[in-house]
Amino acid sequence: MAIGCRAQQLVANKCFGKCTVRSAEYHKRARPICVLNKNVIQQKEQRIYEQYHQNYRTLYTSKNLAGTPRLSPQEVTSFLRANEHTQEFTTTGSVKSYDSNQLSSNNPIEDTRTEAQCLLTNGLLLGVFDGHGGASCAQVIAKRLFHYITVCLLPPDILHKYLNALENNETMELLNVYNDKVELVDELKILYEASFKIFVKELSQIKGNQRDFHMKEAMEKAFLRLDDDISNEALCKNDGKVNMKTLSIAMSGAVACVAHIDGPHLHVASIGDCQCVLGMLSDVSTWTAKKLTTEHNTDNHEEVERILREHPNNERDTIIKMERLLGQLAPLRALGDVKYKWSKSTLSNAVLPYYGETVIPPNYYTPPYLTACPDVTYHRLTPRDKFLVIASDGLWDLVSPLQVVRLVGEHMSGKVTLNPFRLPRKGMHISDINKMLLQRKEGLKMKPTDRNAATHLMRNALGGTEYGIDHVKLSHLLSIPQELVRVFRDDITITVVYFDSEYLRHCPP
Amino acid sequence: MMLHQRQIIHSLINTVTCRQCNPVLNSRHNLTSGPRLQSTALFPHKILDNGVGDESAVPLPKEAKVVVCGGGVMGAAVAYHLAELGWGPQTVLIDQGRCGGGTTWHLSGLVGVFKPSLPQVNLAKSSVQLYKDMDARGLKTGWKQCGSLCIARTRDRMTVFRRMKALAVSWNIDCDLVTPGEAQKLCPLIAIDDIQGGLWIPGDGVGDPYQICLSLIAAARKGGMQVIENCAVQQILNHNGKVVAVGTNRGTVECQYFVNCGGFWARKIGKMSEPYVKVPLHACEHYYLHTKPIPGLDPMTPVVRDLDGYIYFRENEGCLLAGGFEPVAKPAFEDGTIPESSAERILPEDWDHFHILLEQMLHRVPSLGDAVLERLCNGPEAFSPDCKWIVGEAPEIQNYYVAAGMKTIGISAAGGVGRATAELIVNGSSSYDMYELDISRFLGLHNNRKFLRDRVREVPGLHYAIIYPFHEFQTGRNLRMSPIYPKLREAGAVFGQVMGYERPTWFDPDYASGNDSDTKNGLHPYRIAYTNTYGKPPWFEFVRNEYSACREQVGLSDYSSFTKIDFWSKGTEVVDSLQYLCSNDVNIPVGGIIHTGMQNRNGGYENDCSLARIAENHYMMIAPTIQQTRCKAWIQRHLPTDGSVSLSDVTSMYTAICVMGPFSRVFLSELTDTDLSPKSFPFFTFKELDVGLANGIRAMNITHTGELGYVLYIPNEFALHVYTQLIEVGQKYGIQHAGYYAMRALRVERFFAFWGQDLDTTTTPLECGRSWRVKFDKNMDFIGRNALMKQRDEGVKRMYVQLILQDHDHEIDLWPWGGEPIYRNGKYVGATTTTGYGFTFKKQVCLGFVQNFDDKGTTQVVTPEFVTTGSYEVDVAGMRFPAKVNLHSPNLPTQYPDKERLAYRATRDIIDDIVGKRSILPSCPGSSDTQTRT
Repeated sequence: MAIGCRAQQLVANKCFGKCTVRSAEYHKRARPICVLNKNVIQQKEQRIYEQYHQNYRTLYTSKNLAGTPRLSPQEVTSFLRANEHTQEFTTTGSVKSYDSNQLSSNNPIEDTRTEAQCLLTNGLLLGVFDGHGGASCAQVIAKRLFHYITVCLLPPDILHKYLNALENNETMELLNVYNDKVELVDELKILYEASFKIFVKELSQIKGNQRDFHMKEAMEKAFLRLDDDISNEALCKNDGKVNMKTLSIAMSGAVACVAHIDGPHLHVASIGDCQCVLGMLSDVSTWTAKKLTTEHNTDNHEEVERILREHPNNERDTIIKMERLLGQLAPLRALGDVKYKWSKSTLSNAVLPYYGETVIPPNYYTPPYLTACPDVTYHRLTPRDKFLVIASDGLWDLVSPLQVVRLVGEHMSGKVTLNPFRLPRKGMHISDINKMLLQRKEGLKMKPTDRNAATHLMRNALGGTEYGIDHVKLSHLLSIPQELVRVFRDDITITVVYFDSEYLRHCPP
Repeated sequence: MMLHQRQIIHSLINTVTCRQCNPVLNSRHNLTSGPRLQSTALFPHKILDNGVGDESAVPLPKEAKVVVCGGGVMGAAVAYHLAELGWGPQTVLIDQGRCGGGTTWHLSGLVGVFKPSLPQVNLAKSSVQLYKDMDARGLKTGWKQCGSLCIARTRDRMTVFRRMKALAVSWNIDCDLVTPGEAQKLCPLIAIDDIQGGLWIPGDGVGDPYQICLSLIAAARKGGMQVIENCAVQQILNHNGKVVAVGTNRGTVECQYFVNCGGFWARKIGKMSEPYVKVPLHACEHYYLHTKPIPGLDPMTPVVRDLDGYIYFRENEGCLLAGGFEPVAKPAFEDGTIPESSAERILPEDWDHFHILLEQMLHRVPSLGDAVLERLCNGPEAFSPDCKWIVGEAPEIQNYYVAAGMKTIGISAAGGVGRATAELIVNGSSSYDMYELDISRFLGLHNNRKFLRDRVREVPGLHYAIIYPFHEFQTGRNLRMSPIYPKLREAGAVFGQVMGYERPTWFDPDYASGNDSDTKNGLHPYRIAYTNTYGKPPWFEFVRNEYSACREQVGLSDYSSFTKIDFWSKGTEVVDSLQYLCSNDVNIPVGGIIHTGMQNRNGGYENDCSLARIAENHYMMIAPTIQQTRCKAWIQRHLPTDGSVSLSDVTSMYTAICVMGPFSRVFLSELTDTDLSPKSFPFFTFKELDVGLANGIRAMNITHTGELGYVLYIPNEFALHVYTQLIEVGQKYGIQHAGYYAMRALRVERFFAFWGQDLDTTTTPLECGRSWRVKFDKNMDFIGRNALMKQRDEGVKRMYVQLILQDHDHEIDLWPWGGEPIYRNGKYVGATTTTGYGFTFKKQVCLGFVQNFDDKGTTQVVTPEFVTTGSYEVDVAGMRFPAKVNLHSPNLPTQYPDKERLAYRATRDIIDDIVGKRSILPSCPGSSDTQTRT
């Protein structure tokens, strides 16, 4: 996230050999903290990247920047498809399938994503998390947030059962997580399990009458509690020593967008500037886009007003500077980022010794300035709602919600041609077959290169022109060297969820 | 395999009843016999009990004379004809599954006699005759002579039809041009608003491939042939290059002959021997649909071919069967593995791919839209890389015959090809000339799987495409290239492909490097030759300029594709061997060159070549490009078995550059120290030269077109150097590149015959004015001598002539392109072979053969008087042009006359042959010690 100024600044500094302390520290520490036992994503991309990177170094001269494409169409395709995932659901429900994909710009990528089926309640959870100041916070959230949300959704009896299972070390899975390629180091795992157990215990102790279930509150609670836990874990000292891992997780931050789909009920909880858009097909076969989130950044007046309201009047000029919180942070809500949440004294004691003076933001008078409380929207799905796109700002920087919806809509009709035509029934008239084939021929014209809609969006967002996909443009954007790439494109994470219109048509009101 | 099992059970249970009533179920019976049958079957005719019965009970014999592999219609036809010739009891037919289980199943059953060439027509006609005969004898063939109607949407297609109509006279096919209205009368189903006309062939029809297959097998079994089913061939063993046995999963059969009729498994079977037998085939998806019965459909509806819409349709048991040959086909089994069971072989139908054809079908037959689909069949069919059948004896192993690549029209081919193959096996020769279809037309490259996969995309479409003169394939190009190829490309060469070789056909100066902006990344654009008309071709002006450079200045041409073979021996065994192989006296002085034919027993040309005597015991042979595999196989079979004569194919070692024209001697002298004056380096001699800084260049003072000139055989590593030197020094002589079309124009005008175009395995030297090249006067045996002696005594029944068309306007009239009928005094006497525009005569020149038919149509002796006393006409697409006849190579007027060449006439009358020979050829000092072979 937070493309613009910060990135450009970083790059500029680097280019002129003046590495700022902050960026250097972030990068140095971010990596060892969230050690990944298996990170297939990065390995894959890294391999492809290294392959071309070498060539690139020799080719990379200012003269050559706008020359012939450096990647062949096949190379571009393998690059774009490296992290593709498609999940199809055979059980009846509102969700037929989803496509997801990621393309990194930062190294390591700061975006994460998770999709999971709730096992103890009904519902599918899909989330996109965009980290900043390192990837660690987003990675941790991707692993933990859904557990927090799910337990908040559990009815009391199941919650008790679950707690019992936890205490007796029995396995009772909350979630079936799809396409999970990341694992946390054991040390963190143990710590997180402990925190989580406490949370479950506390939940179960809430009196019955206080347990009127509201999705909105459950979501809010889960977000806030996880944020608190991250914060507390960072302060918790082990043998009097600061745990650098948990501290750096808390020092980095992440924005999040999570959708919960249960039958026709769609809830979206979001903080920051990820976006969630619904693709709707009207009766006259035109596509419309419905935004289900509002970004929490300085473009959002209400949000700016909220923050200003929460702080004394004399801070009005210093809280939002250069379209950023305290002149530093672009999103106005986030998980982690404790240096906008902790008191000045906590920061001085716990963080300053390791991160240096710059850790305390300027004009830091009345923290917290930042919250992890999500906006939760509800939408009841109708047969017109065909798909949902959740994506990090890496995509939305390049294409508008309506463009995205049109692209996916087009892809849906073009995609059918990727499968061979089968006669729907026996004994058909040849003229009828011909009609169907003619119609299909129209679809064949739009036959997409990619089967995965997320990849289709990436390809179009990066390489799209008025005349279709421009290979040269695409090839350039994908072969920019690591030290420059962040200026031209951000990490992109996209999840496209397809709804079953037949199911929704027959859903009881 | 479900079908198979079901069918075995069926055959076990129903054998008795079936045999009693009729082994052939009618199709109505089939249609009502249950949904399962319908869903699994591919062709309306289900596998029937073929009378073979309990196949496992028949033991594999230990010995047989002939093993035929493949019980499809092709194998059945070969077996049938072997039985007809009395070899039935010594023949075994083996099939890995059940007979008729391969592509025979998928054939749409069309039998059309109009094929692209006379040999193919003769084979197809023979097939039709066979089915008619069988029908008359009460054998089931499903033969129905409903005629066939081809329709034209374009004017060029009508030209094709007019040419066909003209050709039909010489090919003896009954056919008529029809108007659109008449076409609709013949077949009321068709829409005619966009058609120009049609061609009606009443003798065509349809057959049932499966019934034909079974009837042929049944007849062959009556003749004593054994059928072994469910027996897979695994190995073909040979000893000393001759077939000795066939290994199967059920044991080994010792045999003398093997016939590979494996359909699209033929290539795989080819690999079951050591050495491999190359059977270049690749399967392609082939589609056709069946409708449900259409009420009121005339059973005698002709087969309609809407060639410009790539489609055909026919009536079949009250239903319509419609298919086609789409321009871009879809290769099947691209990884090269062909499934063995028929169940796996069923390919999923690709409706999107078929839609191209479906739209055309609905366009031509609007009422088809109301018909109900029964099923769409997608059956793989095997195609050869040149869209011709593959027949004949394998060059790799003797007595190993192949009859495959029937490319969906198996039953058109089967009768004739089966007969020809059986004749070859039994008699050693066939009444059909099949060199065009001979398996030895291929090289190893043709059998490359990827080459085949790429090539077959465009092969099926050729069935219905308009094949313009000098057709070129678009795929599998840039495969064999001479070292100077990039330079030729830069010089603006437009290429044609021959035996995989890229040969310049003409040079377009506008495309030469420097004049052309298309150059990309330093690569000069590659262009494939095209003619795309039956009239004045687009390359006319280019060829004219090249022609005149060759005649008046200096022309440079790439001859690298020519077959080049070295022969040598320790002693003079090589001379003896070649004397036996060649009809001319090859015992010439060292340094001499001689033109000679290699005849077969009947005196026909198996090969036509130049032999240069490099040393006492060493010859270099230059033969036509297309002979690279074929002539080698012929020669190898007639060389001493003790290995005393060695043969080496050096085609790929030398680049051949021909420089020709009146200045070529002076010009080449500048580049070499050797004296090139006629005294030291006369016509028809050979010398090893230094050229530029290179050495070891074999220079031959001959051209293949009659100009003064030299062909330089340059070791490949020197080729670019020599070429560069030639071009540099040649500038002041106005050197110009010349392509193959210019060469052709030169030689046609000079009346030079070429093997494979004018000469074939049935043409003798006496018939083509080359008796002066036959060593009749030497008491020396050679292959074909007796036949030629006999012909010399009896006289020839056809004679090679040159016809110069009068009143033909090359700008507006359609051109002759070969195959045009020749009329003498208004009576058909023969057909042209090759044609070309004579730039010196400024007239169209046709070469061809003239015959003398009596009133009964029997051929009589043709004398020079007969030829010269007639008045001639040539029918070009329906227009008859008067023509002047020549029996001798003419002297072309030139500004730079040259004594040696003026005296040389490649084609001569028999009378002056002896005189001509004495005056040209140096006498042979070694001729006295050559031995006579018996």
